[in-house]
Amino acid sequence: MNREQVTYPLQLIVRPFQGFWDLKYERDRKGVLIAAWIILGMLGLTVILQRQYSGFLVNFNNPKYMNSLLELAYVIVPVLFWCVANWSLTTLMDGEGKFAEIFMATCFALVPLVLIQFPWIWLSNFITFQEASFYYFSGSLAVLWCLFLLFVGNMTVHQFSPSKTLVTMALTVVAMGFMAFLCLLFFSLIQQIVGFVSTIYQELSLRS
Amino acid sequence: MPKSARLTKLTLIALCCCLCLGALGGQRAEAAEVAPSYMYSFYGESVAAPAAYQATSLYDGRTLGVDAFKEPSDLDVHPDGTIYILDSGNNRVVLLDQKMEPRGVVDSFVNGGSADGFANPQGLFVADNGHLYVADSGNQRVVHLDEQGKLVKIIEAPESELLQANFVFNPVRLVVDTSERVYVMAAGVFDGFMEFNSDGTFSTFIGANRVYVDPMEYLWKMLATRQQRSQMVMFTPTEFTNLDINDEGFIYATNGDRFGDPIKKLNAQGADILRREGNYTPQGDLIFRSATGPSRLIDIDVGDSEMYSVLDARLGRVFTYNGDGHLLYIFGGLGNRLGEFNTPVAIARAGDDILVLDKALGEITRFQTTEYGRVLNEAVRSYHRGDEASAARYFYEAVNLNANLEYAYAGIGKSELRQGNYGDAVHYFRQSMDRANYSKAYQLLRKEVLRAHFSTIMTGIVLAIVALLLVRRYLKSKARKKVVPV
Repeated sequence: MNREQVTYPLQLIVRPFQGFWDLKYERDRKGVLIAAWIILGMLGLTVILQRQYSGFLVNFNNPKYMNSLLELAYVIVPVLFWCVANWSLTTLMDGEGKFAEIFMATCFALVPLVLIQFPWIWLSNFITFQEASFYYFSGSLAVLWCLFLLFVGNMTVHQFSPSKTLVTMALTVVAMGFMAFLCLLFFSLIQQIVGFVSTIYQELSLRS
Repeated sequence: MPKSARLTKLTLIALCCCLCLGALGGQRAEAAEVAPSYMYSFYGESVAAPAAYQATSLYDGRTLGVDAFKEPSDLDVHPDGTIYILDSGNNRVVLLDQKMEPRGVVDSFVNGGSADGFANPQGLFVADNGHLYVADSGNQRVVHLDEQGKLVKIIEAPESELLQANFVFNPVRLVVDTSERVYVMAAGVFDGFMEFNSDGTFSTFIGANRVYVDPMEYLWKMLATRQQRSQMVMFTPTEFTNLDINDEGFIYATNGDRFGDPIKKLNAQGADILRREGNYTPQGDLIFRSATGPSRLIDIDVGDSEMYSVLDARLGRVFTYNGDGHLLYIFGGLGNRLGEFNTPVAIARAGDDILVLDKALGEITRFQTTEYGRVLNEAVRSYHRGDEASAARYFYEAVNLNANLEYAYAGIGKSELRQGNYGDAVHYFRQSMDRANYSKAYQLLRKEVLRAHFSTIMTGIVLAIVALLLVRRYLKSKARKKVVPV
């Protein structure tokens, strides 16, 4: 890994228009894709460490029910959902983005979350209630920054106008809701079928 | 195998079994002596706790020598230890002394020259001067007798513009404050408690519960026509279920409110001033089956040092909280064994003991403190007095008996904080999940550590900066050397 690969995401988050343009048209697809997965992994790691090691004053999780794999899933699944929903919508809405581009742009937009929250995991162990407001402030700042990057990334990747981007993003959230509902329905149906088949098998094996 | 050998083997096995059983039985008996109890942790989970109170004896009318009770509905204890039991079905008040020996029965009094009695009375209150107040529900009045049993006054249905024309006065429970104002909880009254002056005139209502509007029901009401609406149930505030008064004149009240606060402490204006600084508001059980529903609190008793106990009719449990709203201990339950009830209706403290009255069975159960209960009570008392050092000692003992008692760790932490042991204070506040105090202690600890190591830290920072500058210069010079040959 060379120096450029590390500095590129950092440049992107401060100069998003230029950065996302490069991402779409200039840069080597494979290298960026690897970087995107690394960023997603780092965000997962940040969230897990945050749950476990955040300071007592800001950590309200019950350590008894802490599950690293689930925490990881809570990070990765929404991102993938977002990408799939966004891709499905923008294909219908004349977006120019390919799925890989959407995924890369989304992951690069998550960089501020890692960058701001990771140091706070350790810092939050040395704060009092008065200083906890800084913790929450920087947390919201990270989220706002991330949303802004998501917006710019979406706009650049699909070559949309700002208003159309906003509409697509809102619709993407709705589509995510639909997808979640369909997934639940699917899994519950599968569960029913599996239950039905296993009951029949049980019945037959006990009778014979 | 020879027959005799097999026989000895069998006997041996049988013997072993007997021994094992014996050992098991012994353990069981020991465990049954004090039933295990539970607590709620910071995360709202139920955790094991030792029993703080233990049922020691059970009394009914016959064993007390005053004939069987018939649906008794209230009891109260005078500061001198005399226990007053309101035997509603027999229209009498039974007096017992501290040792549960009968001291007398009040079933009639002289009213205007002729004998008068009670009719299905529901509530009674004993003032500190020995005067007895009875909510004589069947006769729709409150009877005030002095310590000799002579009639002082009768409070009849009041007349006031605050009341509706068809108002029926049906007093159910009552308390009296030190200036002899009578607070009556009357059935069918939604405006709060009825306050009567010492001369028996009605003055006002205090402490009405808030109306809770169910959004779904509200929607239906919006859609309904006026005629349909008149047939629907009105939104009314919930009624109180019981009340008690402490020595400072604050009224503690319970209500059947599902959505608000089921326990209230009312000041003279009727405002709720109960402190709720525990991990959750005092409400009885946190975890319950949806079929049984949440705790239905039907009686409250305020003890010394602002401790109060509430009685849950749903599962027959008694919950005790301290003045700050921290749960201290839970005991009781529904069942047929000693220490369990059928239809509990009233609780009262007799010293440190707690008496629970069972309506259907007409029995009184006396609960006495275990070592754990004594330690905890003393800890709360010491803390309330402001004696933090001795409170910390008791809390320390309590923690040794129940490591799950988060509240006790906070008590130890406060004492450590006061003594300036910030490190220990931080540790104990963390154990008790008390974030506000943890923050205070941590701030002081941080200051202390930074002050103590100021010179080391500053030297370290200066050295680091110097080292950084040197490294940079070295790297630059090296780069220049590389460039020169080219």
